[in-house]
Amino acid sequence: MSALTVTSGIVLAAAGGSSGPANLTPFLTDVLLGTAAAFVTLAIVVLYRVIKGPTMQDRVIAVNVIGSNTVVILAFLAAAFGEPGFLDVALVYALLNFLMSIAISKFTVERGGVI
Amino acid sequence: MTFTPLEAVTLVFVLGCALTAALLRDVLAAIIASAAYSLGIAILWIVLQAPDVALTEAAVGAGVMTLLLLLTIAKTVRPENENEFERPNLRSLVVVVAFAGVLLATVPALPAIGAADSPVAGGEVTQYYLENAYEETEVSNAVTAVLAAYRGFDTLGEAVVVFTAGVAVLLVLRREVFV
Repeated sequence: MSALTVTSGIVLAAAGGSSGPANLTPFLTDVLLGTAAAFVTLAIVVLYRVIKGPTMQDRVIAVNVIGSNTVVILAFLAAAFGEPGFLDVALVYALLNFLMSIAISKFTVERGGVI
Repeated sequence: MTFTPLEAVTLVFVLGCALTAALLRDVLAAIIASAAYSLGIAILWIVLQAPDVALTEAAVGAGVMTLLLLLTIAKTVRPENENEFERPNLRSLVVVVAFAGVLLATVPALPAIGAADSPVAGGEVTQYYLENAYEETEVSNAVTAVLAAYRGFDTLGEAVVVFTAGVAVLLVLRREVFV
């Protein structure tokens, strides 16, 4: 992929939803982007649990769900834009999501008074 | 300025996470909310076709920041019998809203994303990078080539700053290792 295709990719992405790679029909690209939008909407719903709690465990699990959601969304976007390289970001988030939950859980146990 | 549905819901999500992180009274809950914020921002970076920035956001925003903040509040205690949400100070709220308004007022002056006639896209330097970046650095993403190769000394300087800060923290705390 040359530098020029990077720029044209940016221009295409700015043009709107129906700007997928050549091997996907515009309809399929729109479906992928729409599904990603639906998943973000689900993440907003889960955000209610982060806000409301009531315990810290609820929040950790909620952020874990949002993280898994993000991995799925990033995979959808990688497919919609036809950029397999974007999957690397999804992989990094899948790893970090797990580590984050472990770190916060360990911390809540050590601090105590939460359970 | 128009948003695709994906951009719109992602912006709503990011805004919700930021407000939650700012208003929650419990610091640990606010840290969790800011981790969720970082996840949303990464989606925006991908939508804007900047995977390397998204990777940095993943490593720094969600990973390192969460850990650093957790370590920072490790010695604190949880406030008992208090309100779940912070009551924002009216005067600070006015200042913050005004500041955000000033920043937002500059947005229309920016060229549209990917506009061919924007000064950055048409500039001599940009043309040089776009034409020669691959031959000179063999990095296929032009942005990454500029950041990692052409601005290598700049990045080295940033690394030196972070290293110096870390050493200074260890000196002040009179310890030999982190954690």
